Amino acid sequence: MATRCQYESSNEIGVFSALTNSYALCAIGGSENFYSIFEQELAEHIPVIHTSISGVRMVGNMTVGNRRGLLVPSTTTDQELQHLRNSLPDGVVIQRVEERLSALGNCVACNDHVALIHTDLDRETEDIISDVLGVEVFRQTVAGNALVGSYCKFTNQGGVVHPRTTVEDIEELSSLTCVPLVAGTVNRGSDVLGGGMVVNDWAAFVGMDTTSTEISVVESIFKLKGEEGGDIVKDMRASLIDQLS
Amino acid sequence: MEIAPLTPVVYNFKKIGPVPSATDMVDIVLTRTQRKTPTVIHPGYKISRIRSFYMRKVKFTQQTIAERLGNIVENFPRLNDIHPFYADLMNILYDRDHYKLALGQINTAKGLIDSLSRDYIRLLKYGDSLYRCKQLKRAALGRMCTIIKRQKSAFAYLEEVRKHLSRLPALDPHTRTLLCTGYPNVGKSSFMNKVTRANVDVQPYAFTTKSLFVGHMDHRYLRWQVIDTPGILDHPLEQRNTIEMQAITALAHLQCAVMYFVDASEQCGYTVEQQVSLFKSIKPLFANKQLIVVINKIDVQPWETLEKTKKSLITEMCEAANCTMMCMSNVTEQGVMDVKTAACDKLLQARVEKRVVGKKVDEVMNRLQVFHPAPRDDEERTAFIPESVAQARKEGRVGSADHKVKKTTAGYGVTKNDGDVDMDVRKTERDIMWEMGGPGVYSMDYRKNYLLEKDEEKFDAIPEIMDGKNIADFVDPEIDLKLAALEAEEDQRMAENQAKNMGEEPESDLDSDEEEAFSKIRTKKATSREESRINRKQNTPVMPRNVRGRKKDKHDVGLLDSVEGHLDGLGVESSGVKSNVRGRKRERRERNDDSVAEEMDLDTTGMSKGALKKMKKEKKEAPKRENSLARSHSRPREPSQVGLRDEEAKKVATKKEMTAKRAWSGLSGEGDQRKTVHLVKWMNTGKKRNGTHNKR
Repeated sequence: MATRCQYESSNEIGVFSALTNSYALCAIGGSENFYSIFEQELAEHIPVIHTSISGVRMVGNMTVGNRRGLLVPSTTTDQELQHLRNSLPDGVVIQRVEERLSALGNCVACNDHVALIHTDLDRETEDIISDVLGVEVFRQTVAGNALVGSYCKFTNQGGVVHPRTTVEDIEELSSLTCVPLVAGTVNRGSDVLGGGMVVNDWAAFVGMDTTSTEISVVESIFKLKGEEGGDIVKDMRASLIDQLS
Repeated sequence: MEIAPLTPVVYNFKKIGPVPSATDMVDIVLTRTQRKTPTVIHPGYKISRIRSFYMRKVKFTQQTIAERLGNIVENFPRLNDIHPFYADLMNILYDRDHYKLALGQINTAKGLIDSLSRDYIRLLKYGDSLYRCKQLKRAALGRMCTIIKRQKSAFAYLEEVRKHLSRLPALDPHTRTLLCTGYPNVGKSSFMNKVTRANVDVQPYAFTTKSLFVGHMDHRYLRWQVIDTPGILDHPLEQRNTIEMQAITALAHLQCAVMYFVDASEQCGYTVEQQVSLFKSIKPLFANKQLIVVINKIDVQPWETLEKTKKSLITEMCEAANCTMMCMSNVTEQGVMDVKTAACDKLLQARVEKRVVGKKVDEVMNRLQVFHPAPRDDEERTAFIPESVAQARKEGRVGSADHKVKKTTAGYGVTKNDGDVDMDVRKTERDIMWEMGGPGVYSMDYRKNYLLEKDEEKFDAIPEIMDGKNIADFVDPEIDLKLAALEAEEDQRMAENQAKNMGEEPESDLDSDEEEAFSKIRTKKATSREESRINRKQNTPVMPRNVRGRKKDKHDVGLLDSVEGHLDGLGVESSGVKSNVRGRKRERRERNDDSVAEEMDLDTTGMSKGALKKMKKEKKEAPKRENSLARSHSRPREPSQVGLRDEEAKKVATKKEMTAKRAWSGLSGEGDQRKTVHLVKWMNTGKKRNGTHNKR
């Protein structure tokens, strides 16, 4: 199930939270409302962690991680690192990365097996990503945007890419990531997919503005309802055509 | 068929500003002129100034009127520009001719006033006195107001139209639309209430619905618009009243799926035959639309038990129009959803077919198909779903559509559904927050969720900085191992040492008395060493000897009184010590006096003892005094002392100093404060005669 939520009336929840198969990060806000939405859905299965990164609330933008590890920028304070270490499960490796492009979440999109990264990322960072997260790394762009983390989102089961990605590009990305992909939007037509949603293999959270069509595309491509979820090609084709063209 | 514009126009007639009545308009305009133009004029002013003063008034009034009337003409929708549905609807509701005439009149009035003001401004150019100019202005303003007042009825009419327009439903002619039509009282509004939340008034008499109503519903991830129309009767178009015509307009102009309601039970007061004939007469309006004939009220008159003739009438009608027929009942809700689904699907299918032919669908092709990857290698990349999630899924707690997250009501107001709240749900942080005082008051202790080996260590305080060093810089993950290794080594070494020392216990060859004395000596030595260390003179203030004795310093031997005792304690002969010291002291003083007298080498005879003493003292302190004065007083010194070579150089220096001083004295400088009188009173007042006054 995909859940609609908002962080202090911002729909860009991917900026303020991060979600993987073994943990979730949440920004510290004025109230516990946002945290509790995650807590309600996830706390039974994985830890949901309040944190800031270098004193900033944009935990989703600044970090990248998957079930095996978490990479944080070099600006992360020692206390935050200690807090994260204490809160994360033992199997998850946490690592600080000395990288000029410190918004790692914007520059890297990954699942548990494959990562697409910004073309200008350091070689050392690339090595750290492949070692800590245990993934194959590809330097890629999505629809001409180097910020792959912002403009595409994929899990082990599927993924959504920028709505202006050409058919050939999607095919290439799909063969790299080894998951089914589709072009789509969130938050009533926003192309910043990484900003508008967080998703893992069994749960998703999207911005409050997301339409029901967008939600059903998300649920279907990420297989959030198990295998029996709706099919974009068959069930939703008419609705999509009518709405988009 | 009209083509939908690229950017769908949203028809919102609510933003038209109110139209004032004619008298109000006059008031508004004249007050504005009074407020915004100058009001003071004197007959003594230049005639050009007087003329421009009044011209300005006339011009300003004309501009205000033009602006006001222009706004009205601009803001009201032009019937030729808006969607034909709205154009027709407005024709029916407000009468197209009347509407156009009213707007036209306003526009004409605006033109008249423009030319009138031009005329009067021209006339004002020839005004030769203030009075005449004023009269011209009065005439101009008066005539403008008369023109406005003549449009009284147009203003009133337009205001009524505006009020009605702003209350029309916000109906989008381009979106997905279902439309209900049929005879009065056949159940159109009831159906509308069933599928949407529009809450239309439903009454058991004809023409309950007197205008168009719009409701919205969700179906297949899309927003649908449902339009409820007033019932229509079967008579020629010319005889139809305004209420019916609204329904006809909607039918004629909207691209929609039409549901023609037929009341088979005839409770509505019209026979099936009548309803069929109405269908036939409005059939042309159904062209190019998705049509469904809905047999309503089957709870009263089921389709199966309907009379044969009526049945055949209806089926023939449907066949002739090539449309589907469905049965439903609003009371039992039987078939309502089927009708809705069928209508929506039919319309959606038609719309999609139309779109697919066009080019635009190619642009969104990437969003309509899922791209499945061709396998790159043999590696299997599986999803990772925790066991607990899989279990929860099986139980239907995660991922199923009917799964509803149970919530507590903390922080919300009391609602009527409060009884449904399940209290054994997991307490979230949000609930705790509300219990502890709400946002801004409660702050969560993030440590409580720590996953540590020992749970009791969760809340341990760990300093960030210790001894000026950041603890985190010294964190070593293997610190425990290293410490254990270090401790093991220490233990081992100690054991070795012990083993080494085991055999050779040092034995003393002294007996107990000697031992005691030995230890005493040692202590004494240690004490005296310590004392001498304390009394060492280096780096400590030297205390004058005459002061020293006064203090009862335990480390100080003090003066003569204690000397003997001290010496005795040391076992030294002390007799005669005191007298010796005293003797020496006195002796020394005497010797000093003598030497001073010798040194003075002066004639001291005949001087009193006091004077002598004073002189001696002065003599002794003379050099000291000299130095002190030199430091404290500012007084002329020898040239060598002020840093000059000789007397000559000093003279030159003094001269230069004087010249420099003289250059400034008596002249005004920038630091001077000056206050001069610009207009000197005694020079400028008083009676003036012929001649220049500065020659007084």
